[in-house]
Amino acid sequence: MAEKTYLQAISDGLRQEMQRDQRVFVLGEDVGVYGGAFKVTQGFQEEFGAHRVLDMPLSETAIVGGSTGAALMGMRPVAEMQFADFVSCAWDHLVTVAAKQRYRAGTPIPIVLRLPSGGGFSGGPFHSQNPESSFAHIPGLKVVCPATPEDAKGLLATAIEDPNPVLYFEHKHLYRRIKGEVPDERFTTPFGKARVHREGDDITVITWGAMVYTADEAAGRLADDGLSVEVLDLRTLIPWDREAVLESVARCSKVLVLHEDTKTGGFGAEIAATIAEHAFEQLDAPVRRVAAPDSPVPFAPSLEKAFIPQVDDVAAALRELAAY
Amino acid sequence: MAVREAEPVETLEQVKDAGLDREDLLEIYRNMLITRGIEERGHILYKQGKIPGSFYTGRGNEGSAVGVATAMGPNDVGTPLQRDMGVHVTRGIEPWRVFAQYMGRDDGPTRGRDGNVHMGDARLGLHTMVSHLPAMLPVAVGMALAFKIRDERRVAVAWCGEGASSRGDAHEGMNLAGVHRLPVVFVIDNNQWAYSTPSHLEYAVEHLADRAAAYGFDGVVVDGTDVLAVYREAKRAIEKARDGGGPTLVESVTLRMEGHAVHDDAFYVPKELFEEWARRDPIERFRSWLRDTGSMGDAEEDELTAGVKRLLHEAMQKAEESPLPDPATVTDGVFATADELETPHHR
Amino acid sequence: MSTGTQVEVVMPQMGVSVSEGTITRWLKQPGEAVTLDEPLLEISTDKVDTEVPSPGEGVLAEIRVQEGETVEVGSVLAVIAPEGAAAAEPEPATAPPAAESQAPEATTETEPIAPAAAGAPAPQTSPPPVPQASPPPEPQPQPAAQAGPETPGASAADVGSPAQQTHAEPQAGNGRTFVSPVVARIAAEHGVDPGAVAGTGQGGRVTKKDILAFIESGATAPPAQQPAAEPAAPAPQQPPVEAPVSTPEPQVAPAPQAAPAPPATPVAPPQPPPQAPPAPTPPPTPVVPVARGPEPVQPPSPTGEWEEPMNAMRRGIAEHMRRSLDTSAHVTSAIEVDMSKVVAARERLKQEYQRAYGVNPTYLAFVTKAAVETLRDWPWVNGELRGEKIVTRSFVNVGVAVSLEEGKGLIVPVIRNAQDLNLLGIARAIADVAERARTKKLMPDDVQGGTFTITNPGGYGTFHGTPVISQPQAAILGTYALVKRPWVVQDELGQDVIAIRPMMNITLTYDHRLVDGAYSGGFLRDLRARLEHWDGE
Repeated sequence: MAEKTYLQAISDGLRQEMQRDQRVFVLGEDVGVYGGAFKVTQGFQEEFGAHRVLDMPLSETAIVGGSTGAALMGMRPVAEMQFADFVSCAWDHLVTVAAKQRYRAGTPIPIVLRLPSGGGFSGGPFHSQNPESSFAHIPGLKVVCPATPEDAKGLLATAIEDPNPVLYFEHKHLYRRIKGEVPDERFTTPFGKARVHREGDDITVITWGAMVYTADEAAGRLADDGLSVEVLDLRTLIPWDREAVLESVARCSKVLVLHEDTKTGGFGAEIAATIAEHAFEQLDAPVRRVAAPDSPVPFAPSLEKAFIPQVDDVAAALRELAAY
Repeated sequence: MAVREAEPVETLEQVKDAGLDREDLLEIYRNMLITRGIEERGHILYKQGKIPGSFYTGRGNEGSAVGVATAMGPNDVGTPLQRDMGVHVTRGIEPWRVFAQYMGRDDGPTRGRDGNVHMGDARLGLHTMVSHLPAMLPVAVGMALAFKIRDERRVAVAWCGEGASSRGDAHEGMNLAGVHRLPVVFVIDNNQWAYSTPSHLEYAVEHLADRAAAYGFDGVVVDGTDVLAVYREAKRAIEKARDGGGPTLVESVTLRMEGHAVHDDAFYVPKELFEEWARRDPIERFRSWLRDTGSMGDAEEDELTAGVKRLLHEAMQKAEESPLPDPATVTDGVFATADELETPHHR
Repeated sequence: MSTGTQVEVVMPQMGVSVSEGTITRWLKQPGEAVTLDEPLLEISTDKVDTEVPSPGEGVLAEIRVQEGETVEVGSVLAVIAPEGAAAAEPEPATAPPAAESQAPEATTETEPIAPAAAGAPAPQTSPPPVPQASPPPEPQPQPAAQAGPETPGASAADVGSPAQQTHAEPQAGNGRTFVSPVVARIAAEHGVDPGAVAGTGQGGRVTKKDILAFIESGATAPPAQQPAAEPAAPAPQQPPVEAPVSTPEPQVAPAPQAAPAPPATPVAPPQPPPQAPPAPTPPPTPVVPVARGPEPVQPPSPTGEWEEPMNAMRRGIAEHMRRSLDTSAHVTSAIEVDMSKVVAARERLKQEYQRAYGVNPTYLAFVTKAAVETLRDWPWVNGELRGEKIVTRSFVNVGVAVSLEEGKGLIVPVIRNAQDLNLLGIARAIADVAERARTKKLMPDDVQGGTFTITNPGGYGTFHGTPVISQPQAAILGTYALVKRPWVVQDELGQDVIAIRPMMNITLTYDHRLVDGAYSGGFLRDLRARLEHWDGE
């Protein structure tokens, strides 16, 4: 056990996987010599060689499509998109080939895409998105969003083992800001199992990724006023832990769904609809969602603050729910 | 790295040099006959309402498809497209499964989940195409990448049409292959028409093989109706890749002898073009060569043709017996399970 | 490609977006021989013109679509019969296996309206958003008048409604009456009236916390009885005689009316054998073992005393009884009736009614008929004290108490306009409502609007009782065991002799604020007269 940053947990976990299984290899832009734009693969090329840590041309389709081909031949590629935003260049491949190959042709595609996602540092419209929901919508793809260092490592190992295409969203803003205890040995964290980040009874917040911390801070403020707020970290979106959500809703009866992605059609809508459908009689208030507004991610700090859900926003929504 | 135009194969000597013996030649002919037979029967079935959806065939491309596939090694892999039924046949698909696939039956390679020639048996090293062409091209490149990483003497063959070559996937895939000198051969089936779009509206260079230089490897143009010439060029390219020489772009020129699909009568193709290329029909061409130079006699030919006919007839019957897929299984197989990864298919 | 059976020729789909085709030319005519794959006809579609090769071998037996006609893809154009063979079923153009999409039957079974849960005795309380039944006569004084929402239907509505009604946010001023789904559910499960709970939510809304706290402090544990609390529940019971009277139980609705509760168990199942209708036991002192609810669990107690919480039904009954007794000045008069003529009439009519109408003329039917007629002359017994006004009517909506299966209580469906029914009509009406009560098919209307109630407890041989009036009515008639007794009668010489007569006691419990002793005496006397001089119909 050691205390590591979120980024270190990912890096160490990936390294461990590559040591464990020769079939695992890394490919992406600037991942080799440079060690990755965020330094996740620093030192990897020295350790594993240039044939397993590949500097790719600026070609998301080739990177992702190439990963599919390699996976078909028995490899376990872990491709890095320099920013999650760029995965849209490979959208066609993911949706057309990777997502559908198992279903049509019976051949599994065990690929992992690492996607540095999220905003909060004036990255602007093309370096700050959380494009999870469009992929969550495509049958055949799995979507994973760790929030803690421990989960980042465990979920990455599971993703690499999984015989399906996995989109692994690592939130950039958590890379160095979040530290936590991470087991040294290899372990896997199951998909589709949520984690109670904070226990509570009065209201439950269903969330994932960086928003887990925002929710936690907001919950802390409400605790000062005697309100007990639960924070449930979904950890993975496809598959997601319906049972845990419904159980939490049944207990608390007031629920807030929170995500950093934009609101309309965001994955929170799916969760809210499911709650309304299956937990109607448990509800003591309408299901609320807090999410970014429907706009591209703005650049100026003042605008970005108005875009990304802040602790104040979440706390206000929680108070409204509490008073309902 | 200039573009080379391949010479035709004429003599038996050249054939031997290319590595084929008489048995191989007859096998090639047989595969071409089976290919055409399957597709012709498919047309009939379609018009009889037995095949749903739309229906694409590769009449006129039999030589190119069979030629390239014959040059592939047993452990090589490929991503053929809709004009390349000859590749599936040569690699060993059972015709009855093709009919089952056409009719959307449970025994087709995709079990009814995809149709027409969107099929591929991974055990034969072939991987199912998609409609967004040439999306499988970067995938083939990825396969070659795996071979390189593992230092295996295997080659991936990536098919593409002249129309498909216009899309970014082709560029990205070829570029990556060139940069890493991957063991992949790019075959462009240039049949001169992308649906109703003629070549001069599709690309601006004289030969698509010209583009190879842009990616750092060689290109060659070959007469796609000459199955032996195609075989020879493909063989060269494949062995070069196998030996670590990197990719080659093989542009195989034919004419699409029918519409884009069975619902298209290709009215936009000048009749003279059809007439001219009909005279160069690959099967007829090879048959003549076999009779003249390869000393195929009547008895042999008849036996061959009758055998193919019988094979297809039985295949059709067997396919008719295959059940329709069970609607209750519609969402089965969206996700793979861990145990599926450790199988020989996965090669 | 089959031989021996007919083959259909269908219009092919020439392209994914093509939905129809036109026949341009038949290349063969009926009667002509056809070989497999031979061109049979030419068609034209949006995309292309083409030939259709024959899918079968034999003779073109029939052409169904002519040249020039346009039909949908998949339509049968012609039939080919095998040479000489008798045509069997035309083989479907497409093959075998069930193509039928076994479409999952997604049927959502809709539960009958009365989900058990509804049971809500939902004490409707005051102006619940959905007054299910807001019975027209708003007897102001009593909330919940009229038939208790025992009916499943009613209950369901009751419970459900508030929730559904809700779309208005509490802010809209409906704060007090808006009940969220979870509160409604908890209320239903515990038989609590949200209106009785202090609300701390927006606009005074009762929140989940509020109602849980309320329950915690007052009652705990949901009714052991299960049936989902339904008070109302279901099934009337069969064994008439038994009459579970559990008087205490009856009643589903804790609160409201449930009128009968008072009478407690009148069981009167219509059908039941004449047996003496069991006497209604007075609510208090339930003696009967009858099923009831929760078998108390008796852990060892150091003091020899045990405590257990009241369930919803019990609470409702308690409240209703108290309210009724607090409202009316209950007085009871009794009369003994020689039922010989009725017995005779019944014997006569039994077979005929059964055979012709499928209905049993029960004693209850006779008494009801006689009572309804008698009410014509004694309108205040069918009346109501409404505030300062006395209400009388030209109609009689008589409630007939029906006991439900063990422990499930009592329900009092109302037969409207009983004054217009003859004996047969009344017998049928009773049978009908009893059946519907037992099978949970009563509608809200069926338990509301009663003006007079007859209760008929059975089975225990009681000869007297003092039922509780169903508010806001003015009186309730009770019938007791039909017993053979020695009776003094006059013989043909006018002398007193003892005869064995079938005797039934009948009581009228009335509200002395409105009905005086003499008045009630007159009613009973006339009722007796009708019964003792019954000549049958």
